[in-house]
Amino acid sequence: MPDLLLIISDLAWPFALALAWVAGEFGHRWTGLPRISIYGLVGFILANTQAGLLPHPAGIPIMLLANIAFSLILFELGYHINLRWLRNNPWLGVTSLIEASGTFAAVYLAAQWLGMQLIPSLLLSSLAMATSPAAVLRVVNEQHSSGQVTERILHLSAFNCVLAVFTFKIVVGLWVFQSTGNILHALWNSVIILLVSAALGGLFGLAVPGLLKRLGNAGCDATVAFAMAVFILVALTHTLKFSPVPAALAFGLMARHRRIVLSQTQQNFGTLGNLLTVLLFVFMAATLEWRMVMAGAGLAMALLAVRFAVKTLCVAAFAHVSGITWRKGLLTGMALTPLSAFVILLLEQTRHLGIGLMDELAALAAITLLLEVIGPVVTQWALVLAKEVPDTKDT
Amino acid sequence: MPLEYFKTSTPLTLGVELELQLVSLSDFDLTAASPDMLHLLKRASFPGNVTPEVTESMIEINTDIHANHAELLEQLQRIRDTLLRAGDTLNIGVCGGGTHPFQHWSERKIFSKPRFKEVSAIYGYLAKQFTVFGQHIHVGCTSGDDALFLLHSLNRYVPHFIALSASSPFFQGSDTLFNSARLNSVFAFPLSGRAPFLLRWTDFVSEYFAKMEATGIVKSMKDFYWDIRPKPEYGTIELRVCDTPLTVERAAALAGYLQVLCRYLLDRTEPAPVEDDYLVYNYNRFQACRFGLDGSLVHPKTHETLSLREDVLTTLRKLESYAEMMVGMPALEHLYRTAHEGSDASYLRQQYAERGSTESMVDAAILRFRDGCP
Repeated sequence: MPDLLLIISDLAWPFALALAWVAGEFGHRWTGLPRISIYGLVGFILANTQAGLLPHPAGIPIMLLANIAFSLILFELGYHINLRWLRNNPWLGVTSLIEASGTFAAVYLAAQWLGMQLIPSLLLSSLAMATSPAAVLRVVNEQHSSGQVTERILHLSAFNCVLAVFTFKIVVGLWVFQSTGNILHALWNSVIILLVSAALGGLFGLAVPGLLKRLGNAGCDATVAFAMAVFILVALTHTLKFSPVPAALAFGLMARHRRIVLSQTQQNFGTLGNLLTVLLFVFMAATLEWRMVMAGAGLAMALLAVRFAVKTLCVAAFAHVSGITWRKGLLTGMALTPLSAFVILLLEQTRHLGIGLMDELAALAAITLLLEVIGPVVTQWALVLAKEVPDTKDT
Repeated sequence: MPLEYFKTSTPLTLGVELELQLVSLSDFDLTAASPDMLHLLKRASFPGNVTPEVTESMIEINTDIHANHAELLEQLQRIRDTLLRAGDTLNIGVCGGGTHPFQHWSERKIFSKPRFKEVSAIYGYLAKQFTVFGQHIHVGCTSGDDALFLLHSLNRYVPHFIALSASSPFFQGSDTLFNSARLNSVFAFPLSGRAPFLLRWTDFVSEYFAKMEATGIVKSMKDFYWDIRPKPEYGTIELRVCDTPLTVERAAALAGYLQVLCRYLLDRTEPAPVEDDYLVYNYNRFQACRFGLDGSLVHPKTHETLSLREDVLTTLRKLESYAEMMVGMPALEHLYRTAHEGSDASYLRQQYAERGSTESMVDAAILRFRDGCP
C-alpha cells in the first residue's frame, strides 16, 4: 500500500500545471489579463506555504525544467536582437545604459534611505535593473504586437538583463571577497563566469547553424535542433555552475548573426514552449511565501515606485532623439516593468554560494509577487495604448 | 458626382508611385511599422511625398512631376536614401518586390483611416490578401482624347511592363511558378481588367462613366482597378500593371521606357487601336505574368506568335531615336540588360535556390533595394 501522501506529492506538479493552464485560458478570455499573470497567481496560491498543495520546488528537477523554459525564452530573445541597430541608432544604446544605471542608482539610494544594509541594497538594485524577458516576450507574442514599443522593449530587456547579470555578479564577487578575502574566488564568481558562459553560448551559436547547414534541411524547421541545443546548454551551465542567462542570450544572438541560411524557428518554440512557460510561471510564484510577502510589502511598494518612475522617465527622455514620439517613449519605459522570472532564477543560481537573499529580504519576495502579476499587465496595457496590438474586430 | 473635366498637363511628363514593403529585421516577415515610419519621416522634409497604405506594413511614396528619366531617377534615389535612414533608425527593413514571399494575410493590420476600414469591410479577406506592392507610372497628356488614345494604343505593350517589372514569384510561402503572382490578386477585384474601348473623352464621360455611376457601383475613378486608367484630375494616364521592382533604378527605367513609348505612339505611325485588339489581351497578359520574359505573345493585328523577350528587344531598338530626343537612353539601356539578364523574379528565385529559404530571399531583397543596380 503506497503512502497516500507520497502519491499526492508526486501528482501535485502535473495537476497544478493543468489547473494553471485551464485558469489561464478562461481567465484570459474573461478578464483580458495576460495568461502568465494568471499562471503566477495559481502557482502562488497552490504553493507549499499557502495552500500547501505543491512540495517546495527548490532542488528538484522542476527547477531544472524552469531553467530550460527560461533559457528557451532567452534564446528566442537573443535571436530577435539586431546588434546593428545599436550602430545605426546610438541613442538606443544610450537609452539602455541610462535607464539601467539610473535604475540601479535610484533603487540603491532608496534602499539605503529606507535602512537596508549595504550588500543587500546593492544586490537588490542590480536585480532591479533587469526587465524579465520571459514576461515581455510572452506578452508580445500573445498580443501579436508590432511597432517601435514592441521592438524597443525586446531590445532594452535583452540589454538590461545582460547589464543586470554583470552588475549582480560583480556585487556577488565583492561580497565573496569581503567574506573570504579571496580575490581569485571573487573574480571567478563574477567576471570570468560571465565571460565563459557567454563564450559557451557563442560557440553553440556557431555550431548549431553549421550543423543545420550540413544536414541541408535548414529551410525546414530548425526548432528541434535549437531547442535540443538549449537543453544541453542549460545542463552544461547547471553542472559547471556557469550562468545560463548570458549563455542562452549569446547563443540566440550568435545564431541570428551567423546564420548563412536564415530559417524560421517557431514562435515560443511552439507547443513545447507553451508547456514550459506554464511551468516556469507556476514554479516561480510557488517559491514565494505569503508571510514574507506581507512582511516586505511596504518596502517593496516604495522600491517599485522608484524603479517604475526611473525607467519610464529615462526611456521617455531619449524618445525624441531616438526617433519615436514622446508618447511611445513613455509607453516603452512603462512596458519595462516585469522582473520576476529573472530574479528568481538568478537567485537560485547563487544559492550554492550561500546567498539566500530571498530568505532574508522580505521586500524582494513582495516585489517578485507583485510584478509577477502586475508586470505583464502593465506591458500589455502599454502595447495596447501604443496601438501596436491588432484590433481584434478586424480579424 | 459627374466626372470632372480632363485637366491639361505638359505632355509626356512623368510621375511614379511605389508601394514598398516594411519588414521586421528579426524574422523578415512584414511588420506593422508604417505609423512609426511616417512619424519619423514627417520630422524632416521629404523629397517627394509619402503616404500610408491600406495595411500598416506597407508605405507608398510618390515623386514630383518630372520631364525626363534622369531627373526622376535622381529623386527616386534621394527618396530611397531617406527611407533607408529612417528604417535604420527604427530597425525596419525597406524593400521592393510585388509580393512578400511568406506573409500571411490574416496577420495584417489595416491602417486606421476611414477609407481603408471601409475597403476592408467591403472586400473582407481580399483587402488583406491585397497586401501586394505595385508601381504606378503617370504620363502627362494634353487632352482626354490623347489620354484615351494612348491608353488603348498601349494595350499591346502591357505585357512588356509586366514581364520587365515582375518581382513576385512567391506568395504565402511557396513558389507560384508565376513571375508576377501579384497581378492574380489584383484580378480578384470586380472592377479590375481593362478600360472600355472608347476613344473620345466626352464619350467616356457620358457613355460610360455616367452610366456606371448611375448603377451605384462606382463613385469616382478610384473605384476602377484597371491596368491603365485615365486620371482626369492630374491630366494623366496611369499604368498600374508593374510590380514594385527590387530597385528604384529599375522603377525609373520602366517609367523612362513608358515615356519614350508614348512619344513614339503619339506620332501615330502604328495602325490605330481597335476593339478587336483586346481579343488577345488577356492571353498575352497571362503569358507575361506566368512566364515573364520567357513567355510568348500573339500580335493583336497580325496574330503572329512572338517571343516576349524578342518583342521587348525589338521595341527597344525601334525606340532608340526617340529615346535620344527625350534623354531616355539610359532607361532603355537598363532594360536591354534586364531583358538579357532576367527580371527581378528570376533574381529572387536564384537567391532562393542559393540560400535555401524564403526569409533569406527577403534579406536579399532588402540588400538589393539598398545597393541598387546600375
